[in-house]
Amino acid sequence: MFKNEEMEINLGPQHPSTHGVLRVKLRLDGETITHCRPMIGYLHRGVEKICENQTFFQGQVWTDRMDYCSAVANNLGWAEANEKLFGITVPRRAQYIRTMLNEFNRLASHLIWLATHALDIGAMTVFLYAFREREDILDMNEAFCGSRLTTTAFRIGGLREDLPPGFEKLVTKFLAKFPSCLEEYENLLSENRIWKKRTVGVAKLSAEDAIALGVTGPVLRAAGVPYDIRKAFPYAAYAEMDFEVPTKTEADTYARYLVRMEEMRQSARIIQQCMDGMPEGPVMAKLPKILRAEVNEVYHATEAPKGEIGYYLVGEKGSGNPYRFHVRAPGFINLQALPKMAEGGLIADIVAAIGTLDIVLGEIDR
Amino acid sequence: MPTPTLTQFIVITLVQCLLVVIFVFVVVPLTVFAERKVLGYLQQRLGSTRVASGHVGVTGWMNRGMWKWGRIPVLSYWRGIPGLVADILKLILKEDVIPAKADKFVFFIAPALSMVSAVVVFAAVSFVPGVFFTFPAWFPLVGGLPVSGGIADINVGLLWILGVASVGVYGIVLAGWASNSKYPLLGGLRSAAQMVSYEVPLAISLLAPVVLTASLNFGEMSTRMAVGLPFWGLVPQILGFLIYLTCGFAETNRLPFDMPEAENELVAGFHTEYSGMKFGFFYLAEYINMTVVAALAAGFFLGGPWLLPFGLQGLLIPASVPFIGQPHAIFFAVKIIFMLFTYIWVRGTIPRYRYDQVMSVAWKYLIPMALANLLLAALVRCFAV
Repeated sequence: MFKNEEMEINLGPQHPSTHGVLRVKLRLDGETITHCRPMIGYLHRGVEKICENQTFFQGQVWTDRMDYCSAVANNLGWAEANEKLFGITVPRRAQYIRTMLNEFNRLASHLIWLATHALDIGAMTVFLYAFREREDILDMNEAFCGSRLTTTAFRIGGLREDLPPGFEKLVTKFLAKFPSCLEEYENLLSENRIWKKRTVGVAKLSAEDAIALGVTGPVLRAAGVPYDIRKAFPYAAYAEMDFEVPTKTEADTYARYLVRMEEMRQSARIIQQCMDGMPEGPVMAKLPKILRAEVNEVYHATEAPKGEIGYYLVGEKGSGNPYRFHVRAPGFINLQALPKMAEGGLIADIVAAIGTLDIVLGEIDR
Repeated sequence: MPTPTLTQFIVITLVQCLLVVIFVFVVVPLTVFAERKVLGYLQQRLGSTRVASGHVGVTGWMNRGMWKWGRIPVLSYWRGIPGLVADILKLILKEDVIPAKADKFVFFIAPALSMVSAVVVFAAVSFVPGVFFTFPAWFPLVGGLPVSGGIADINVGLLWILGVASVGVYGIVLAGWASNSKYPLLGGLRSAAQMVSYEVPLAISLLAPVVLTASLNFGEMSTRMAVGLPFWGLVPQILGFLIYLTCGFAETNRLPFDMPEAENELVAGFHTEYSGMKFGFFYLAEYINMTVVAALAAGFFLGGPWLLPFGLQGLLIPASVPFIGQPHAIFFAVKIIFMLFTYIWVRGTIPRYRYDQVMSVAWKYLIPMALANLLLAALVRCFAV
């Protein structure tokens, strides 16, 4: 007699398309996924606990190492959460530079997403094209703060240094060529029959489910919810920027692809506006040598490329360290939607689902 | 011309086999090399001369050397050859790991099966029109005897090709099963389903030239397809050619149909557990199969293996024109190279299908289309030839 058995299989932790050390426990009926549970923690370093034993200034270094693809966005959230805790006003020029770098970082992060997502689906060329443009952004990171990936770009209270001379030229050059690069990717993918077959209707996540699971970022916006913290609760210089929040209602992988591509366009617009309206002035507020907390607790959320990244800080009166530090990492919460998206699909679909969630395990495991 | 004795016949055949094996072992590394070069240009990759010439030690030294090659006009195209040589050395020298729970005999036999079935196909493909060369009279045993361009000029060549090529799937299925591991098993299952499905439209699309030319012999078929009909064979068979090409991609597990090894889903598919030269055999077999598909396409659809395309020879250019008026093996090589380039080109351009979509492409579209194409060929045969 034939036995009808389900096969249990581990996708990861060493697997080409789990974007790091994610392990997904799958139960397969043939190639159909009947059960899917993400297992995390392979990259756990205890970032939050470490930060509690360091001064407020030192903690930022650890935020680089959470979502290493969007270090600047993490830095921004950390810096602003601390500024909220200590009631520091950041000079306007610093705000503009922060906004600009943050948007560059969004481009870099989305390019990584596009590259790996396309590679997962088999479009190898887009991978290398996207990395080519990301290289320019990393060069700009290097010009600004000396390091390419783990930037530690900002300081609590502003910036360590102003933009380096010649930075405008780099930005102008990049902005001049970037739209044509985006067009190149879209030529390869947007109307490609195979790309559409692999993404349209795949890994759906309805708006209700997304809200119930706490999913944010492009995944939520592709389900039709126009929630973008840059618009909803403006921070840095976003209140002065003119940009749109792209949304789609299909809530599938293809819609998320379109949303992110449009976000890249909007990011380029914001960078242009930052360049045009860059105010003069100092870039650092006057701060004491050691910050000692006054307010008890803050929660500050910013829109990281992957979704809402929130920093929860509790200060102890008179102490130079945070008493409690917690990160609401967008990747961690978005990943919880994976079973909903993948169950009932095929193995190839879970690869697309992981790609479209745009996870970075450094941030999920912290 | 003296009739060869049995011994002489065997010796000559062995010489031909040796030539084919040499051909295979020259063409495959060159294809791998070309794949890297072409993909490098398509994807604007920075090569090792750009990123590794600052390294110390042997790596940096070789890459600096390659950078200097770039100044030499012809040699500059061959930058990157050391990388290929290193790759081949790595394949040969790497430790050959056999998983503890694998079925050792089947595990061992599977790559051989893939490789042998891929090479044996060449028996029915003739590379050179007529006589390749004649042994000089002083040569012991076989002096004065001609060596023809193909090993076996059999009258059921196409059947042989299709039959042997389909044995190759056993290599993949058995490899997936013998590894006793989950990802290879999935890869093996996929390839079993995929290759069996695509064999059908592939065979039907090749039946159309058979109908048109009324032959199964490789040489006869290809010559008739090129110049034997009142028009060039590709004209009524353009649909058949496209079907054949699609199935050829699927049969050789190339993108967009590389299901069995889809590295982003199944790690490496059926050869996940293979290492060293056993993996190398699968690798070789894939590229040999590509060459076979290219050779058949060149033969049946691109205007005969040794002739100019578009039916130029015989129809437009008389045989008296020097060089291009006569059949020549170089035309065959050029067509194969063009087809191999197409493979790489497609790989650089489009993503991968999903497994169920691959199957639906085969059963819902390709098989009906191939049948319609066969009917078309029959009609052409009835009324136009």
